[in-house]
Amino acid sequence: MFGSVRMCSNIRRSIIFKNQRNLCSSMRLFNTDATGVEDASTKMGGFAKSYDKQSQLFKEEPEQKQTFESLLRNSKLMDLGDPVDKIVTGKIFHVVEDDLYIDFGWKFHCVCTRPTTRGEEYVRGARVRLQIKDLELSQRFLGSTTDLTLLEADCKLLGIIYSPVQSSVSEKST
Amino acid sequence: MIKRCIAQPVKNAMLFCRSNSVASLPELSEVTHENTKALSTNPLDHPDYFQVHNLFTVKDLFESRVHYGHKEGSLNENMKPYIFGSRQGHLIFDLDITANHLRAALNFAAHIAYRGGIICFFNRNALNAHLVERIAQECGEYAHTRFWKGGIFTNANHQFGAVTRLPDLCIFLNTQNNILSQHTAVRDSAKMLIPTIGIVDSNCSPNLITYPVPGNDDTPIAIELYCKLFKAAIARGKEARMKFLQENN
Repeated sequence: MFGSVRMCSNIRRSIIFKNQRNLCSSMRLFNTDATGVEDASTKMGGFAKSYDKQSQLFKEEPEQKQTFESLLRNSKLMDLGDPVDKIVTGKIFHVVEDDLYIDFGWKFHCVCTRPTTRGEEYVRGARVRLQIKDLELSQRFLGSTTDLTLLEADCKLLGIIYSPVQSSVSEKST
Repeated sequence: MIKRCIAQPVKNAMLFCRSNSVASLPELSEVTHENTKALSTNPLDHPDYFQVHNLFTVKDLFESRVHYGHKEGSLNENMKPYIFGSRQGHLIFDLDITANHLRAALNFAAHIAYRGGIICFFNRNALNAHLVERIAQECGEYAHTRFWKGGIFTNANHQFGAVTRLPDLCIFLNTQNNILSQHTAVRDSAKMLIPTIGIVDSNCSPNLITYPVPGNDDTPIAIELYCKLFKAAIARGKEARMKFLQENN
């Protein structure tokens, strides 16, 4: 079966990537200073020179084409670590009577039952807090060669963050 | 949408001569002007005639969650080359490999559309069925997201009661019928020599699919992205075809 992703090499690669970028930006700063000094004829004052430098600073970041490895390394999935018992925010995208279908940025959605407290605020478009129990409900049963998946995640609904339904009292859920 | 039978032959179309073994009736007996028309600008000579590589970037795939796979326990052995690694037991696709496969698939779909081929979309995930049907309608092509009766491809003339033209390309946005079994149309397209494009997830088998695209097929956002890309590629193919036909008439 698979071992875990080579985290060390990925971290090293991203650190090298970052260092290279810093080096490049500092080199460019050095260049702009040099060109500013050579332009003696225009006789730029202190403010004008620093304004020039500042505007160069903002311009110098072109759209860097990110590799898949760097995108993955900096993604929220990596920040999560071990997904069990982590708190995430989700958005309700479908409601069937008392079942709420919540999408929290993962491959699957989770289905939770509508809580009894503030139940009418759980509508489509509401943002909620969830605690992940399992990212995918799949299990190998006796006698089968592959796992059987439910194509769903399993989360515990903690509370509401925002609801399109106007509520008179807005209290933070712990 | 139930497959429609096309009984009347295509009129006055500049059809390039191709060994199309799909048609059950020799209706494609039009005069081909291939030799007279510009072989110098033959689209097949270009590696990417329709510029499909402009349609998406790896970042777009990443943001549409295409790289998420199932758990290690449901991994199909044949999908191992496409997997980047596993994170806490969840598999991650290598999007560089996926991007290459997707470009090849889009290029192929565009070429089929350029040649006036019939394209059929398949999806058996109820969550995305409506989206796929809508996209197929907007493309001007066909979709089949319902229960698949056994002999639709293999016994078409008998099932539809009339001579049937089968699709020239099958695009599977989900190759599984349910968790346990593959869609029958994958095997039947291979039997009828219909090329297929299929989004294969980590629990699917890419063996019978002509242009497999390893990626996520469960998230609606990913399916939306695929639909958008295929629609754009097919639109480009059709647009080029219209232009070509107008130039010649």
